[in-house]
Amino acid sequence: MKSVIKHIFQRLCSKILLLLAVSFLTFWLMHATPGNFFDSLRLNPQIAQDTVDRYEKLYHLKDPFFSQYIHWVINALHGEWGYSLYYNVPVSHILGSRLYNTFILSMTSLLLTWSLAIPLGIWAALRRNQWVDRVLSLFSFAALATPGFYLAVLLLYAASRLGTLPLGGMHSPNYDDMSIVGKIGDTALHLVIPAVVLSLASIASLQRIMRGNMLGVLRQQHILAARAKGLPEGVVIYRHALRNAFNPLVTLLGYEFAALLSGAALIEIVCSWPGLGSLLLTAVRSKDVYLVMSSTLLASVLLIIGNMMADILLTWVDPRIRYDNQN
Amino acid sequence: MPRNKLFLVFFICLFFSWGAWAHAYPSRYGGSLVEATSSDPKTFNIIVTSDANSQAATSLLFEGLTTEDHFTLKVIPNLAQSWQVSTDGLQWIFHLRENVKWFDGKPFSADDVVFTFNDLIYNPDIPSPSKDVLTIDGKAFKVEKIDAHTVRFTLPVKFAPFLRVLEGQPILPKHCLIQAVKQKKFLFTWGIDTPPAQLVGTGPFMLSEYFPGERLVFKRNPHYWEKSPQGDALPYLDKIIFLIIHDPQAQLLKFIDGEIDETPVDGQYYPLLKPMEARKNFHIYEAGADFGTRFVCFNQNPGTNPNTHKPFVDPVKLSWFTNLEFRRAIAHAIDKKKIIEIVNNGFGLPQNGPMSPSSGFFYNPKVTVYDYDLNKARAILKKAGFFDRSGRGTIQDKQGHDVAFNFYAAASDDPIEAQIADIIAADLRKLGMKVNMVPLEFNTLVNKLMATFDWDMVMIGLTGGEEPHFGKSVWHSSGNLHLWNPHQDKPATAWEERLDEIYDQGVQELDENKRKILYDESQRIAADELPVIYTVLNMDMYAVRDKFGNLKPTVNGGVFGNIEEIYEIRH
Amino acid sequence: MTIKINSNSRTQLAFASFRRNRIAMLCLWALAVLYGLAIFADFVCPYAYDDENRDFSYCPPTPVEFRDHGQWVNPFVFKRSLTFDAIHRRVYVIDPTQKYPLHFLKGGRLWGVDDPGRFYVWGADARGRDLFSRIWYGARISLSIGLLGVAISFILGLLIGGIAGYYGGWVDASLMQTCEMFMMIPGFYLMLALRAAVPENFNSVQVYISVVVILALIGWASLARIIRGMALSLRERDFVLAAKTLGVPDIVIIFKHILPQTISFSAASLMLTVSSYILAEAGLSMVGLGIQDPIPSWGNLLSDAMAIVPVIFAPWILLPGLFIFITVMCFNVVGDGLRDAFDPMFRD
Repeated sequence: MKSVIKHIFQRLCSKILLLLAVSFLTFWLMHATPGNFFDSLRLNPQIAQDTVDRYEKLYHLKDPFFSQYIHWVINALHGEWGYSLYYNVPVSHILGSRLYNTFILSMTSLLLTWSLAIPLGIWAALRRNQWVDRVLSLFSFAALATPGFYLAVLLLYAASRLGTLPLGGMHSPNYDDMSIVGKIGDTALHLVIPAVVLSLASIASLQRIMRGNMLGVLRQQHILAARAKGLPEGVVIYRHALRNAFNPLVTLLGYEFAALLSGAALIEIVCSWPGLGSLLLTAVRSKDVYLVMSSTLLASVLLIIGNMMADILLTWVDPRIRYDNQN
Repeated sequence: MPRNKLFLVFFICLFFSWGAWAHAYPSRYGGSLVEATSSDPKTFNIIVTSDANSQAATSLLFEGLTTEDHFTLKVIPNLAQSWQVSTDGLQWIFHLRENVKWFDGKPFSADDVVFTFNDLIYNPDIPSPSKDVLTIDGKAFKVEKIDAHTVRFTLPVKFAPFLRVLEGQPILPKHCLIQAVKQKKFLFTWGIDTPPAQLVGTGPFMLSEYFPGERLVFKRNPHYWEKSPQGDALPYLDKIIFLIIHDPQAQLLKFIDGEIDETPVDGQYYPLLKPMEARKNFHIYEAGADFGTRFVCFNQNPGTNPNTHKPFVDPVKLSWFTNLEFRRAIAHAIDKKKIIEIVNNGFGLPQNGPMSPSSGFFYNPKVTVYDYDLNKARAILKKAGFFDRSGRGTIQDKQGHDVAFNFYAAASDDPIEAQIADIIAADLRKLGMKVNMVPLEFNTLVNKLMATFDWDMVMIGLTGGEEPHFGKSVWHSSGNLHLWNPHQDKPATAWEERLDEIYDQGVQELDENKRKILYDESQRIAADELPVIYTVLNMDMYAVRDKFGNLKPTVNGGVFGNIEEIYEIRH
Repeated sequence: MTIKINSNSRTQLAFASFRRNRIAMLCLWALAVLYGLAIFADFVCPYAYDDENRDFSYCPPTPVEFRDHGQWVNPFVFKRSLTFDAIHRRVYVIDPTQKYPLHFLKGGRLWGVDDPGRFYVWGADARGRDLFSRIWYGARISLSIGLLGVAISFILGLLIGGIAGYYGGWVDASLMQTCEMFMMIPGFYLMLALRAAVPENFNSVQVYISVVVILALIGWASLARIIRGMALSLRERDFVLAAKTLGVPDIVIIFKHILPQTISFSAASLMLTVSSYILAEAGLSMVGLGIQDPIPSWGNLLSDAMAIVPVIFAPWILLPGLFIFITVMCFNVVGDGLRDAFDPMFRD
């Protein structure tokens, strides 16, 4: 157990260092952005000279580049993420709820993906080259090639014709009047289109990988041995083969989370889901530099957390890491 | 029949007849209205802001001394129930309504009126856009309390649109805001972080909740002063919800879906919506030509950026933009007819001046009209020295510079603006100009126009109305909306000088007909000197769910201009 | 006796295996057709991409007629005029008395009709521009951006991955940490953040180059990692050790011996990267941050199709999405096929 914790701790440290590096990259990008953010701030009559002066001091805007960066990091750690020109409030006021919304969407999509892709992959492997396998194969290729945003537009249009699903956004107008159960149900309904579109490509690729792994494992010696021993087929598949086929997939979890967050951003925009992605688009369009930076950084944080969770899962699942200190 | 059975029958009859009786006079109270707004308000502080979304959010909460009849466009009493004016037109006595309460229960009085004008609008520390309109020749109005329900305004000179100006000026509560003013913090009070309960007004609805990026919820003000002609305490509706929906298309879909009760109808949505009227229980109302303007403008600002010491506009480009012939040629390159057809499915009018036909009395239709004729445009350009000297298909000025510039439009989230800008850019390219159309987000564009002044050509729109004086900040050379060359110390050209004269005189002229002569001239000057080149005027159309009574859509008031009278129909 | 070591034999085997994969070959040919049409757009398309005619807004596809009153004649199209019906819908009325013959190989173009007739193979957009023409001129942008972006990513990936894998140690660790850093930012966010750094008044050529660079920057890191992995295993191989013993300089070893091997293995990843770049450009242009009007790209053609009303009344504007789908599908199939072909365990 100790080695597990030590392993996780090591990974955590390296991830934090990475995060610092990412923050530096985004900070440098922000500096490279043409346009004078603080000029605009200064000229806006609704923002006091005090606030502008305060920000100038806080961010040491007169200092050289590195000094500014250090101060930005220190401020960020204190919860001070800059000022949004577009929303006219400090950035930290907006990020919280948007982060939560993206998180819900990503998590739902992840759950959907894994609960569908694994069984489908197993099924396809067991019925190799039969019609089930071929149909799923075709579906996978099609799903991977379909631009998610395009599908989202088509689905929204179809939904508007059918009238069953809400058309974008996160809550119905009378959300506040609903009971807790009602609220959950309402959010769930609004999640259907974005989560389905988002999951589609992941389900397709994960299903194929599961199928591939399963087929690979089924060819191996110990499966042959198990069958020779006379074990029932169900036990062979679900106790022996599945475990080995499944493990490598856990490593994918981290990468999948990256693709998920990235894909989620565009889908959020199309479905008017109020998450980090739509926030970023608004920020880029209005050249709201602190908001751009913070959204990007926060998305990276989410990603790192996702990877950490994947690492922990992997550690738990892979005996080699448990019993072996070195990796 | 036995006694008790008789009583039973009697009570049953009474019960049903009571039901029938209630049914014959259904209560108008209750119900809700769900509307959409395209973005979050920037602030709830209506003194310091002038953007449309913030005003939409606060218009339900606050009221002015007067208001307007949306049909006749005449001024009618609001918080002031009557007034008298002295014979010289300079002294106005307003008798305020006596039964008006603020949301927190405190009584509305003359103190609040005096506070709003003297401590807020005229406060030198507070940059209020209304100050411009409420100041003549640099002199403010004198506002004094006579008694708890009487206020006297003393004007420095005659001010023709005075009553109308008051209509647009909401009164704010002294007891809530005086502290902030004394501490010089007023600018940041009532920002969007403010707890809704603190936003205290006198209007028919109060803000109940605000979820940034999602919606604003307004609830009925139970102490509202206005009563219906039948004596009902208004408003009828319990709740109004503004959903924040950036994408006009999402708004349309939500309307079709039933999530919102009303949506403005662009021309291109009409063929989609019209056949659905019966099935989806709504009607489309055509209110008339919009008041607003949409135009392209060239930067004629000769100034220099104080920070970078570089001129705002490249001097080479400045020489083109300040050349009237250049602008005249471009005016002939705006394909208004096709823009209306393509973008609005034929709904709309070509626009030739700053006022709309819906403005009524002051609208001047007799101004120079520029027809779409690219050959004419080329001829004008050639005569002015702009033609293709290089053989490459582009035109150059007399010094041989290619005519190339950036064209900014608020097109990044508005496909209609994008389409119109693309069409105009395409025509300018046909003339041989190298036009780089850059879609920007609306606030970014406004920032360029009002703060940094680093633009070549823009396309933007302004709201308008029936009172020409309210365009002063656009047409007066000192105005901050005098986009092509704002904040002038003295007028840069003879026609701008004449416009200044017209606006200074017109506001003091109480004879409507004499005013009309002046403002007719200003509209002619605008069309002749082309500081801005107008494009097309939209038709205001609204689709409203068939569940509301007392609907009276107008261009002036929108579809719910009489929100306090609107009720949900019960069956 | 010398034993000739043919270091390409595995590659040759792989390509042979690939050629046996019918579906992958089909997709490869499809891609060749798509790129061919894009390259020869000037010839294949009846109109230039910005040839607009505002009297034909959202004109439906104009079918080519071959029979006139029952007789076979040279192909032609009828004249059409635009009217608006009672609910302001566009209606194109055919005038059977006016015919515009379809001519071939005139003015450097394969086919077309003379003005004032208009020939719309797949319909017109809002300003009367031919969608067919715009799709194939747009293909130039969409298909080339993917390839150019991948080329830059690949070069970056080769350099960094190759050096990291070959030298190992702290060089490897630091370069890989840089890669991890780029991979830590979700692609779309990085793309948008980079786009925010591009000056707003760039003209279309500058925007194109910026988009290529941005795409390259979001994908190079994962390519670098793959190549690094391959370089790591390759450097232990005999022929590398032999070259080292012979005193061949490191740089030469990397470029002449190791990298050529990696190309064949990374071919599959490259194909998949191209398809993801094509999708990325489409997404970027669709939200208005990519290629701008009047230059068409499949992405910005689709942004017209994001509006529900045009889609209902002019559904042909959805076509660019179909081509994105086909292109991405083909690249994926070819990529998959290459991966299978190089997989030693694959039995076809």
